[in-house]
Amino acid sequence: MAALATFLVPVLLLCGPDPCPAAAHSQPEVKCVLFNEEYMNCTWGSRETLKANYSLYYWYRNTSNKVECKHYWQDQDIRVGCYFNQNEIIQFQPFHVLLKASMGGSTLEISKRMELQDLVKPDAPVNLTIHNMSNNQLQLTWATTYPKAKCLEHAVKYKSNKDTDWMEISVNGDVFSLPSVDYKKFYTFYVRSKVNKYCGRTQLWSEWSVPVVWGSNSTSKGTVHWLWIHTVLIPIASCLILLVLVILLVRMERVWVILMPRIPNPSKNFDELFITHNGNFQEWAGVPKDVVESFKPNYSENICYVSELPPKDSYEPLWESSNPPPSVMPSASPAPGEHSPYKNSYGRV
Amino acid sequence: MERTIIFCMLFFFSSTVLAAASHRAVKYRQILLVIEKLEHAVKDKDVEWLHTPENPVEGCVDTALSCFKNGTLQLQPLNSQVNATFTKAIRVFRKYTIRSPGKQCESSCESYKKKPPKEFLTSFAKLIQKLLKNEYSAQQS
Repeated sequence: MAALATFLVPVLLLCGPDPCPAAAHSQPEVKCVLFNEEYMNCTWGSRETLKANYSLYYWYRNTSNKVECKHYWQDQDIRVGCYFNQNEIIQFQPFHVLLKASMGGSTLEISKRMELQDLVKPDAPVNLTIHNMSNNQLQLTWATTYPKAKCLEHAVKYKSNKDTDWMEISVNGDVFSLPSVDYKKFYTFYVRSKVNKYCGRTQLWSEWSVPVVWGSNSTSKGTVHWLWIHTVLIPIASCLILLVLVILLVRMERVWVILMPRIPNPSKNFDELFITHNGNFQEWAGVPKDVVESFKPNYSENICYVSELPPKDSYEPLWESSNPPPSVMPSASPAPGEHSPYKNSYGRV
Repeated sequence: MERTIIFCMLFFFSSTVLAAASHRAVKYRQILLVIEKLEHAVKDKDVEWLHTPENPVEGCVDTALSCFKNGTLQLQPLNSQVNATFTKAIRVFRKYTIRSPGKQCESSCESYKKKPPKEFLTSFAKLIQKLLKNEYSAQQS
């Protein structure tokens, strides 16, 4: 309890009955940036973090008079920063600021010492230009609005459309050479600047410049063209050619005959056979009459029926039977004196 | 004939001035590089502090430079490993010739506060950066 009281008393004494300007929030810190050595902005917070009334005083080492900021940045009636024009800026002399925060009856003072030459942020490079050199070499040049160009170092960031990551290279002059480039690729370049170690000890890089591009974007253009050719041109051309062919087929029999030859119909060649000569081949073929006559038989033949006799066990000689064999059925019995070529083989197996 | 001689004299004079200016810038850059190396090689503790000029006014820059030059000769190396680097650096300062200081400067070296070696070198670098920036500014204009 005694320890708690010991802790609370100084806090209450400091803040008093009124709210403490910085008790509820962390102490604001003054941050200054010298933009291109043209003007400077010092800020100490934002509307969300600041609750008190703020006043900024500044002086340089060799002067004893504190000067109040002439141009405050305001955010809804709260002072959040101070603007210094070029006449109020002196580099290479210790720059002191005193921020007074007052709320109610209490005042908080925050002081800071800075070296302005270490707080310079140059503007981004401008007029990026690419030159085509010999041996597939590219040269990138740029200009700067910073008053002392020799005090700057630069960084170039580039990649092609086929790369995934950016390449970042440090450059001391204002010329960057890319030794070998592929003409089929599409390159993009950015440049930024910083005051080098010969003119200050700043870590503030400028913003990246407006990009400059080089190369053929043929991949994307080619894809679009190819797609257009595939989906529009080729189908339309095919349809047109097909249409022309159809018309040709219909209108030109010579073409039709070539593509769709007639099924041969040899019946025409035989019209004379079937119509004129009534199917008489010999007459149509022009066979002589005596040859036709020679093929006609000059004898007559009786039909002789032959059948198989039953097996031997059940065989009965036919001669001993008075009945004629039942299987024999001559349609005409030959005359005794007439020669029959089949007589000897009659009834015998 | 006289006009030709005058033009030639002007031409050679401006060439000399330009060469001198660019030579000065080169020298300043060399000094800054040496200071950068020395900052990591110099003994900072248990050594005598050095008179460190701060923000010398116009007319006292050369006096401040000669104070810095004399002060560097009193620096000591951090250890035996950095002896070679240290010796090379000090040789550069020894060869650095400063214009004889103007009589109108009332501040002497002893009038400046003494500071540890690393702070001494930081202030030296700051002065050289200022002079170099002025040099570039003059070249640009």
